[in-house]
Amino acid sequence: MSPVLEVRDLRVRFGSMAAVRGIDLAIERGQTHCLVGESGCGKSVSALAVMRLLPRGAKREAGAIRFAGEDIARLPERAMRRLRGDRMAMIFQEPMTSLNPAYTIGSQMTEVLRAHRGMGRAAAVERAEAMLTRVGVSAPGMRLGQYPHQLSGGLRQRVMIATALLCEPDLLVADEPTTALDVTVQVGILKLLADLKRDLGLAMLLITHDLGVVARIADVVSVMYAGEIVEHAPVGQLFAEPLHPYTRGLLRAIPVPGKVRRGEKLATIPGIVPRTEVGFRGCAFRDRCEFATQECAEPVAERVEGAHHWRCRLASGWLEAA
Amino acid sequence: MSAAIEANGVSAVFNQRAGTFGVRRRVVAVDDVSLTVPEGMALGIVGESGCGKSTFARLLLGLLAPSGGDVRVGGQVLQAMDRQARARLIQPVFQDPASSLNPRRRVGEIVALPLRAAGVARSERRERALSMLSRVGLTPEMATRYPGQLSGGQRQRVAIARALVLEPRILICDEPTSALDVSVQAQILNLLAELRASFNLTLVMISHNLAVVEHVADEIAIMYLGRVVERGAAESVFAAPHHPYTKALLASVLTPEPGLGLPDLPLGEAVPDPANIPAGCRFHPRCPVAIPRCATEAPARGDVECHLVQSVPT
Ligand SMILES: Nc1ncnc2c1ncn2[C@@H]1O[C@H](COP(=O)(O)OP(=O)(O)OP(=O)(O)O)[C@@H](O)[C@H]1O
Ligand SMILES: Nc1ncnc2c1ncn2[C@@H]1O[C@H](COP(=O)(O)OP(=O)(O)O)[C@@H](O)[C@H]1O
Ligand code: SF4
Ligand code: SF4
Ligand SMILES: [Mg+2]
Ligand SMILES: [Mg+2]
Repeated sequence: MSPVLEVRDLRVRFGSMAAVRGIDLAIERGQTHCLVGESGCGKSVSALAVMRLLPRGAKREAGAIRFAGEDIARLPERAMRRLRGDRMAMIFQEPMTSLNPAYTIGSQMTEVLRAHRGMGRAAAVERAEAMLTRVGVSAPGMRLGQYPHQLSGGLRQRVMIATALLCEPDLLVADEPTTALDVTVQVGILKLLADLKRDLGLAMLLITHDLGVVARIADVVSVMYAGEIVEHAPVGQLFAEPLHPYTRGLLRAIPVPGKVRRGEKLATIPGIVPRTEVGFRGCAFRDRCEFATQECAEPVAERVEGAHHWRCRLASGWLEAA
Repeated sequence: MSAAIEANGVSAVFNQRAGTFGVRRRVVAVDDVSLTVPEGMALGIVGESGCGKSTFARLLLGLLAPSGGDVRVGGQVLQAMDRQARARLIQPVFQDPASSLNPRRRVGEIVALPLRAAGVARSERRERALSMLSRVGLTPEMATRYPGQLSGGQRQRVAIARALVLEPRILICDEPTSALDVSVQAQILNLLAELRASFNLTLVMISHNLAVVEHVADEIAIMYLGRVVERGAAESVFAAPHHPYTKALLASVLTPEPGLGLPDLPLGEAVPDPANIPAGCRFHPRCPVAIPRCATEAPARGDVECHLVQSVPT
């Protein structure tokens, strides 16, 4: 089966700053692919590039973006607009970036159905209500008459998800959908996304900086660092045997209740994420990596073992050797 | 052990107008909270957004006059002290160092400013500021930069240096690492632990992240809608939570363990609103184990405020 989304060598820059430096992604139907990394590493820019929603000033280079087998990298904007909100949809960290404060929930949801499906008002309202029920919004009829600001953060997030899924897209891109929510609310939203993925057979690209979220929801994980995917593996493998020193450092730096005794130090990664200019060579992690050698200043090839990919001079088994 | 800082039945009530034409709302952000932090201890305060953590921090810092009750430091009422005396005893570190540091002053000046206000001689100021910067892991070169030329983690180090330069007894940290990446968060948590030991600081650490608090705190207080609903030694609260809300909070921590999937959280959907605190137990609309009595009768004050738990009065 060919993947729903396939991205090859995607590059995005802002002036001389290289924000995304040649990433590959493939997501299949019914699969949750998590893109994880620290702030500024290029997660959102990658997602926006896939949706063809990059802001002014961003320059996308080369790279194929195949959606359902068709290369959409050069599709005219009119055709893109027909795809977005219909067969591919995106949700954001802050629901108010996609919900309009001036319109009721009902008019925003039915508008999507009229535009993409040419549905009549009554049918659209019925469908919107059904979708709100599906995402766990109580009293959906009443909600349709409310404005976004009258809802709590968790409810707004559910409404945004419902709106994104109205046309039963094949691909859902979710950029930090639970980052702004309380932990108890986050669990509910993640469960909802996992159920919807299963029931609708969605391909889901879920972006997060939280490895806890990744562990609990991902099928496949791509770890980003300074605009590159430095490691990519099925979720179990990535957590059981992280092969990139950055992934390993990140996993050890997370405080986990009951794991580190108080008084004991947390593992850290010294230093900070570098800014990468166009033409940057070598491994971007080398300033912070305890294993760095001169070799790491030269371009580093990707290593592949089965479904596990990582971009480091070190071969698997380095951990035992070290 | 004497109490470094104590809150005696403090409340914070705001009269808020919702929108231009809106009705007046009486927001009870902190509702009659009593807590003591013994000298040298670290207290962690955890709760969901809007439960009153930051408001409580402002009360503890004397930045907000309580609507009821008082806060005492070393037995003295905080509100009755002058600003300088307060600043020498207790200092804050906030979540967003970008907005708490003056962008037009160099790092060195920012850290030296509290010393100037305290009347420390100019020659001594520079030296003490630089030495404090080095204690938080910043080089003398960084003293000449502006906050905008530093990373988020470095800015938080500056905020910590500024808070400690007068060598206060107590540090109140409100979400000090929430704006930082995990790899940097770990650096700052280690730094706080190290400084706490070497300055014998009393620490209050506020966070919505249980794991962060667990790493630092000796004692934990769980806040819900303006009240502390459970408190106790950190180990025991984590090992054996009693309050249904504490249990839900703990269950919702997503540890990086694949295969566990997402936990079942039988919590009600009701949104807590401090302008409309439910009668009886304030948690009852969301509580999975509520009994009829919970809707009408507030649980007794104690270390666990729940009808179903035998609690020790506080
Ligand atoms: N000056 C004020 N006027 C009116 N209401 C206020 C004021 N300050 C705080 N509140 C309200 O008091 C409640 C508690 O706010 P607080 O900032 O203490 O929450 P918090 O627990 O720190 O939340 P977060 O995790 O989001 O930082 C909120 O409902 C807030 O809107
Ligand atoms: N509109 C923009 N103009 C200039 N630079 C940008 C813009 N959007 C993002 N960037 C830069 O691109 C890089 C990646 O950003 P982003 O994808 O938003 O990171 P994140 O991984 O946190 O989502 C960052 O260095 C960011 O500063
Ligand atoms: S390539 Fe070199 S610097 Fe980069 S992660 Fe591997 S060992 Fe470290
Ligand atoms: S008092 Fe009742 S409603 Fe409140 S936490 Fe206990 S069981 Fe739940
Ligand atoms: Mg982002
Ligand atoms: Mg706060």
